[in-house]
Amino acid sequence: MTIDGNYVAGEPAPQQPGSFPVTVGWTQAAIAISSVMVLKTPVNLKMNIEMHGPLLIDFGRHAFSWSTPLEHFPLDAVHTGLETIPGGPDAPPMFELPGHDLDGLLWQIGLNSFDGAPAFWLSSGERYRLTRWPNLTQHSHDMRQVKMIAVLGNAYVSTPELATYSGVEVGEAQRLVNALSLMRILSRSAEAPAVPMAPETAATKRQSLFGRLRTRLGR
Amino acid sequence: MAEHVILFTGPMGAGKTTAIQSLSEIEVVRTEANNSERHIVDKETTTVALDYGEILVDGDEKVRLYGIPGQQRFSFMWSILKKRAKGMILLVNADNPDPIAEMIFFLDEFRELYDRGGVVIGISRADVVVGPTLNEFSEALERTNPGLVIPVFTVDPRDRDQMENVLLALIVNIEMREAFGMLSRTESA
Amino acid sequence: MSPGLHTKPAVVKAASSLLTDMQGASSSLTYAALLTDDGFDVARLPGETDGTRFAGMASSMQALGDAVTHELKIGSSEYIIIASGKGHVVQLRVPGQELVLSALFDNDATVGHALAVTRTFAQKMAELLP
Repeated sequence: MTIDGNYVAGEPAPQQPGSFPVTVGWTQAAIAISSVMVLKTPVNLKMNIEMHGPLLIDFGRHAFSWSTPLEHFPLDAVHTGLETIPGGPDAPPMFELPGHDLDGLLWQIGLNSFDGAPAFWLSSGERYRLTRWPNLTQHSHDMRQVKMIAVLGNAYVSTPELATYSGVEVGEAQRLVNALSLMRILSRSAEAPAVPMAPETAATKRQSLFGRLRTRLGR
Repeated sequence: MAEHVILFTGPMGAGKTTAIQSLSEIEVVRTEANNSERHIVDKETTTVALDYGEILVDGDEKVRLYGIPGQQRFSFMWSILKKRAKGMILLVNADNPDPIAEMIFFLDEFRELYDRGGVVIGISRADVVVGPTLNEFSEALERTNPGLVIPVFTVDPRDRDQMENVLLALIVNIEMREAFGMLSRTESA
Repeated sequence: MSPGLHTKPAVVKAASSLLTDMQGASSSLTYAALLTDDGFDVARLPGETDGTRFAGMASSMQALGDAVTHELKIGSSEYIIIASGKGHVVQLRVPGQELVLSALFDNDATVGHALAVTRTFAQKMAELLP
């Protein structure tokens, strides 16, 4: 990662906790989070965000605290600083527990970082498969995302394959892959072969119960 | 008339009847009797045959919603109701004495619905009590049924929006399983 | 609400004794059971059989009968009859109680007789309980 916050795809994550360069937006926040989550020494994060209260993340307790509710997640937030704080079971909590489920935050950050490009910790040529569904009743989502999640739940697919099978743009598929990967519920494989899907002909599209029920329920 | 049968399973008190009421466009057909075991489950009534609700998708297509009676002494109804179902919504209440065991039990009991369609699990009353975390449910699933990736959501059966989410997730999951050739063609007539 | 009638020894005893009387009143009675609305077995004749499954089924049938009459808007279900080659099952509620009396008569009995006997003893059961 360069000093001014630009990421370079393929660079390894920092190995030691310490001070990070001043972050700029959610992309840099996602990089910081993904780096910290793989450290052997438990570390928590405090992010200072312009015009919002500090965002506190306790990875050990899988929780966060923020005065801004996720329903009003600011897509273009400007981060002004980031601190690492020692974590671990003996470390005193940074905020009143239980806080909020970290998955909700990771979902939003994952969807809104990297601007539709692959997250820096992912490699090209990979296929992905879900290891666990996100708790959809708790995360604001749309039916296109549900469809993509259903594809990922049942086959190893690359991002372009996911986009094709779900009928969405690659950028939209990539955002979802980034989010699920940040939530650590996505398995990555370089060797998994392509999985054929019954081709979605125009006729099949008309026959999809999911599509018809969505329409009926106004979604 | 094309029809799709979805079965609601799970222990007594999980919210199956309520969930069907939230989704159904018709008045739900219920078969409730007064509960003579209030000391065991504090509910006034209990389902003794089935619940039945409907969603009309369009002029000639329906989603039929059936709820089982949760108690084991009605297991003969489970055999009857399994037959035509293509998918299952398994509800477990977090304040059940052993919700994880109930989840495993019903998944096992109704495994054929997973094999020939799909399952979504809904944990009710998770916000009301301190029960197992969603993670613990997922971990138990993975331990007992390795390789199965089954959606597990927290859910309020009274909330129509949430129940629609659950139903849509079930249906798209079944369709994807079918598209990827994962369904087994067991007897479903 | 009468919680747990199947758990009250006095009720179980009275119910068993009533079924024995019922057998005495009708030689074509083959099987009879008293069960709670929610499917618990209170007493059955012959006494040694396991009545658990039948009690669940009879309560389901009773509830489905009520669902049908509700659906058709014809009031409440008064009795249910299942006719088979080898006999009739007659089933109805014990008035004022959350109990169902369900009885199997062989084909020596007419349906009318089976119904009359079942009604009589359902009424007697009601009178035995407070």
